Amino acid sequence: MDTYVLTYAAFNGLMVGAMLGGIALGLSLIFGVLRIVNFAHGSFLMLAMYFAFWMQKLGGIDPYLSVLIAAPLMFVLGYFVQCFVIGPLIRRERALVVEPISALLLTAGVYILIDNLALMAFGPNVRSTPSLVQVTSLMVAGFPLNTFRVVAAIAALAMAAGVSLWLARTDMGRAIRATAQNRDAAAMSGVDVPFVYNVTFGLGCAMVGVMGCLIAPFIPITPQVGLSFGIKSFIVVVLGGIGSIAGSLVGGIVIGLFESVASQFVATPTASIFSLGLFILILLVRPQGLMGRK
Amino acid sequence: MSDVLLQVDRVAKRFGGVQAVKSLSFELHRGEILGLLGPNGAGKTTAFNMIAGFIGPDAGRIALEGRDITGQRPWDVCKAGLARTFQLSRPFGGMSARENLVVGALVKTNDRQRSRDKADELLDFLGMSALADVDADNLTAFERRKIELGRALSTDPSLLLMDEVVAGATPQEAMTMVGLIQRVRDRGVTVLIIEHVMKVIMSLSDRVIVMHLGELIADGVPADVVSQPNVLQAYFGDDYVEAGA
Amino acid sequence: MTPRFNFLAITSLLLACIALPLVLHDEFLIHSVIMVLYFGYLASSWNLMCGYVGQISFGHSVFSGVGGYASVLLLTGMGWSPWLGALVGGIAAAVLSVAIGYPTMRLRGPYFALTTIAFAEIIRIWFENTDVVFGIQLKGAEGLSVPLIGTSWAKFQFESKVPYYYIILGMLVVVMTITWLMERSRLGVCLKAIRGDRDAAESLGINPTRYTLTALAMSAFMTALGGSFYAQFIRFINPERNMGTELSIDMALMSIIGGQGTVFGPLIGALFLAPLAEITRTYLGGQFAGLHLALYGLVLIVAVLYLPKGLLHPLRQVARRAFAKLRGGDAKGPQLPVPAVLPVQGDAK
Repeated sequence: MDTYVLTYAAFNGLMVGAMLGGIALGLSLIFGVLRIVNFAHGSFLMLAMYFAFWMQKLGGIDPYLSVLIAAPLMFVLGYFVQCFVIGPLIRRERALVVEPISALLLTAGVYILIDNLALMAFGPNVRSTPSLVQVTSLMVAGFPLNTFRVVAAIAALAMAAGVSLWLARTDMGRAIRATAQNRDAAAMSGVDVPFVYNVTFGLGCAMVGVMGCLIAPFIPITPQVGLSFGIKSFIVVVLGGIGSIAGSLVGGIVIGLFESVASQFVATPTASIFSLGLFILILLVRPQGLMGRK
Repeated sequence: MSDVLLQVDRVAKRFGGVQAVKSLSFELHRGEILGLLGPNGAGKTTAFNMIAGFIGPDAGRIALEGRDITGQRPWDVCKAGLARTFQLSRPFGGMSARENLVVGALVKTNDRQRSRDKADELLDFLGMSALADVDADNLTAFERRKIELGRALSTDPSLLLMDEVVAGATPQEAMTMVGLIQRVRDRGVTVLIIEHVMKVIMSLSDRVIVMHLGELIADGVPADVVSQPNVLQAYFGDDYVEAGA
Repeated sequence: MTPRFNFLAITSLLLACIALPLVLHDEFLIHSVIMVLYFGYLASSWNLMCGYVGQISFGHSVFSGVGGYASVLLLTGMGWSPWLGALVGGIAAAVLSVAIGYPTMRLRGPYFALTTIAFAEIIRIWFENTDVVFGIQLKGAEGLSVPLIGTSWAKFQFESKVPYYYIILGMLVVVMTITWLMERSRLGVCLKAIRGDRDAAESLGINPTRYTLTALAMSAFMTALGGSFYAQFIRFINPERNMGTELSIDMALMSIIGGQGTVFGPLIGALFLAPLAEITRTYLGGQFAGLHLALYGLVLIVAVLYLPKGLLHPLRQVARRAFAKLRGGDAKGPQLPVPAVLPVQGDAK
């Protein structure tokens, strides 16, 4: 196998991996703090991508600029979803014993609802969002890399670093980490746990919103795109470790590298099968992932 | 029939960096009530769970009625004649009190009627016949404890392991439970009980063993053991012993 | 509601179902009814394991796919009667389910659900991308058709749709009867205990793996039979339709919304959701593709939040109250559970 092609695939894999890690960040955070599996994660990504598309189509706003509007909007959306849809379930869970599967079903319902509302509203056709950025490839170490992927990858890393810092340094961040470690102890220490939940969910959605805008220039936009990224995000989070930001990136990069390199040797469906197989294996053998806590 | 019902021989367990149980050996004689004491972190629950099959020992041997049950899973250990209660009573919600007891009875017999009869007999023994059809979720905390006991008894064990049965009970309820356990022994069931409440241990146990930091440090009649210096030191620390000496 | 009333109600309902084709002559309507019953059957099969073990599977359609492919391939390749082919498919599905279930059963709820999706996707992707295997034509995503080979019961092909109706009705009755029997059997009691508290069940001599895998194998077998029926009825099978995530979710949803862990719950869920899907698809499908699914999502959200025990639970309450009124408040009926605050004898004061 040609070393150049292989190295190129590795570079691509790294970038795609970082991007996947960035997308999965929100999922990891939400799971780490609220302990619920957010089936609708991909749906929020899809919404952000459509948002970037419509901002471009209707207002001529470049996706990279839409990020600034999308992030707070998605935060608010996530905040409200948590407040009005998921919150009632968690409140009920404290009173009676409810199977944890209920949260999964609830978010599954949200995913089904959002994905199909999108299908109804936007139609099944593929959309694309060209960016005003004209430079389509950068030369890095002799390899022509797709600019948009590079930006998405770097942004993912920056976002991960930024959120990590924020969680470590700010009061809200500390409150979130405390709740993630021990909900009851945090509550007794004066943390407003429902509020923390709302903020966390909002933050998770905001992060995925940022990524959505950033990948809109090079990922075809359809109502189904959410599901495939959602599943990938699950694989990344399980691999890298739930609730670990670094883990999310590591997991993403592993998956990205793996699929990119594997695609050089086997057909794409087989690579998907291997990813899914890896996912199952991790769950069975090392459920806390590569860097997770629990 | 040998007099020794349960034989625990040099059993050990390590969790990561902590040696929870070092080299535990003791015997349990048929028909006795043995109390297992020790401060928190002594390894009592680990030892308990190893005997009951929920944790596998790293070393050592456990034999019930001469048969090796080391490392066997809980359901096989149950079939061998050992039953246990849980510290946090967890009767099956959505099932009535009677149904809870039928579950265990079905282990030894396939006959529906016989298991129902057994359940009813146990309800009577527990003084809960009037509550037979009440959903377990609607029972009081102490009633749930009694169901916990009844459930363990429904499997017809020769050895009953009880884990802190009077935690959270009023003194009156504790005494009721003590009476029940004595009657359990009268029915021919040997009992090993972990307990912190002194009054219960003193009035119930024929013999007590004390664990501390994973090891056995005392074995004897309650009155003797509880005044032993090393036992006092384990519970209260050196200062107390010095002050009292 | 006394057992005798239940028996009479069910028998009359059954007789009405049997008589239905005599009054209903529109083949299109019969087709719709068959589809509703088919979903009811699938949901009931799903419920056999998932409702009673309490583990949600989102990959069950893989079993229906295995059943469908088995019966189609054995018919077109070896001339075997679909009845036999369905049986083979059922056994294959059961074996597959145990192979998948054995390592994964101990995973907690959400993880198990995700694993079932992963397994189902792996198998579906493989089917979709495989044209030939061991010399057998699978035709991948294109799917297989069942050629018309003349009408007979042995060949599972008929002039009208009515025999299919009776077959699926029979299958539905069988799966519900099996569920009813299972509930009362030792298996049912053990599953209930495992679901209630796994550790406690283990300490009572119950090996969770043995019982949950038994339920899973039964469920997979029945689901596969359903898949065979569908493949022979529509005379077409492909991975997306018969093995896809959408079908898995449909099965799970209907059972959950109707009331999992009950005999009639899945059927009620199907009676509620399947016509909903049919109507929205037929009348609004053109403009609003996906509306019926959006409604499913909405229903699921509402159900999880406000009807955790499914539709069956409130329906039962309503029926009980109505029945009590009819009997003039007869005291001889099922009592409400005794509230915990009532003083009860047996406790020392």
